[in-house]
Amino acid sequence: MFPELNSILNSTPDSFKSSDFILVSDRRADASFLIHHYLSFYLRAGCKVCFLGLVQSFSHYSAVGQRLGVSLAQAREKGQLVFLEGLKESFGVLLQDTSQETQPLSYLRSPGAGLEGLFRFVESCVRQSGDGNAGESWGPPVLLIDDLSVLLSLGVSVGAILDFTLYCQATVCSELQGNMVILVRCEEEDADDDEEGSNLLQRGLVHQCNLALHVEGLPTGYCRDIHGQMEVWWRQRGETIYNQRKIFHFKVHDKGASFFARGTSSAVL
Amino acid sequence: MLLDVMQAGGGFILLEDSVQCSARGLLRCFIHAALKRGEDVHVLGFESPETQVCAGLDSSSVQRLHFHKGFPDPLGWTCRSSFTVERFTSQHITQLIKDTQHAQASVLVVDSLSMVLRHHDPVVFCQTLQELRKGGVIKTIIGLLHSDLHQQGIVGIVCHLADTVISVAPADNERLSVAKTTRRTKSGKVMQEEEYFSVSEDAALSVQAKPRQPGHVQRERDVSEADPTSNLTFNLRLSEDERKAKEKVALPFVFSQQKKSALLRPTPGSGRIVYEPDANDDVDEEDPDDDLDV
Repeated sequence: MFPELNSILNSTPDSFKSSDFILVSDRRADASFLIHHYLSFYLRAGCKVCFLGLVQSFSHYSAVGQRLGVSLAQAREKGQLVFLEGLKESFGVLLQDTSQETQPLSYLRSPGAGLEGLFRFVESCVRQSGDGNAGESWGPPVLLIDDLSVLLSLGVSVGAILDFTLYCQATVCSELQGNMVILVRCEEEDADDDEEGSNLLQRGLVHQCNLALHVEGLPTGYCRDIHGQMEVWWRQRGETIYNQRKIFHFKVHDKGASFFARGTSSAVL
Repeated sequence: MLLDVMQAGGGFILLEDSVQCSARGLLRCFIHAALKRGEDVHVLGFESPETQVCAGLDSSSVQRLHFHKGFPDPLGWTCRSSFTVERFTSQHITQLIKDTQHAQASVLVVDSLSMVLRHHDPVVFCQTLQELRKGGVIKTIIGLLHSDLHQQGIVGIVCHLADTVISVAPADNERLSVAKTTRRTKSGKVMQEEEYFSVSEDAALSVQAKPRQPGHVQRERDVSEADPTSNLTFNLRLSEDERKAKEKVALPFVFSQQKKSALLRPTPGSGRIVYEPDANDDVDEEDPDDDLDV
């Protein structure tokens, strides 16, 4: 959890906006540090977290989580965290002879069919009554996905992914008043932007989201003290449409990340 | 023109937006305006919940509003919706509208057309729209389209079908947005206008022709008043006599008739060549090249 990011977004684990769809995207940079931030943020807030980790193993997140002060293994044991390890479970789907439509990773066998199976998994996970081992009840459900653009390279169409996120938003955000954080990685913009690709997916998700965080390298090039810039775009909140954008610079440390306004890096001042 | 389109209605009105600026607020204004006119409004909501599209209505308007729940289940995965995207055909929609009692001039609002285009073939979709327009049951169709989620060609096709296209974009001023309205009348005349607008919390639309920025106007006046021929150490102005003399000067390459004929007439004593041979020149009439030492 990064305290400076909390103050920029005006949220703390004790008080944060519900029914929020937060989109994290990057272009030629790595925004996964924001996923680690949100993971530790929501676990500390006591929410029931459903994490679709499609690109990394559980031990990776667990190791980073420990540096940020949360224990993922403990949260999983208590029932607060449900982790779908995409890399490990994909073997099971590919090596089986029969596959059902409702398996979560059924898109690996038939990518054209869509992501209904994955949605059913998410739905069953967030609708479970939040009873931990000690009988504690968790807060509103949270869905974290890292990352969604990898599904494009597995053959799933952009339309199917947008339908899946629409359903997740309807269930998690609108109905259950929970939050959703999705990471999407974009490629370079090129002339054929009409074609199906990660840029089209990112645009479709920006239309749906409430808050968009976009991470890029500095436009002027590499810098040792500033790792990149992050654009915060407040889109809408219920009926009101904000459309307010701000850019911050950031630097990622061993145990966190610091954010500052442009031109106020500690190396400069 | 935006307010006229909103208050008159009729035909197929397309609201085009992009990630930079959303047109859903404008869609809400259109719905409110149609309800105030006493028309029946049918909303096919696939992308946003009822609360977002139809908030802030009084009780008499609510009776005439029929929200067909696509959201939260637009594809029928959880069997909770009353109208899925697949049922977007002219038969189903016409049936839906005829089912409402005392149906007067009906307005069909689709939120959004992008969702429908994702699941239907563009050609079939256009046919459906055309059938709905000519069907006679629906007076106005209002659709929201996200122009940056489709190929240029498809956006062009839908714009071509529409009687009025309103594209929204962000303006420099954060509180305002720009709406470019293109309206085609039945006679084929096309009218375009660009206006600044803002939508309030209770879906009231306020339109301005230009944003009020007093600084700009003053700057323009200053520029026109400066006179470059004043405050110089030399004189750049002409007196009356000097101006008349200047206008009388014949320019060198402008030929009048007199000058042309003077040039063409041969004058005596001009243009003759006189040649006196030198001592070294051995002029041989038969072979002029004989004096060359080759």
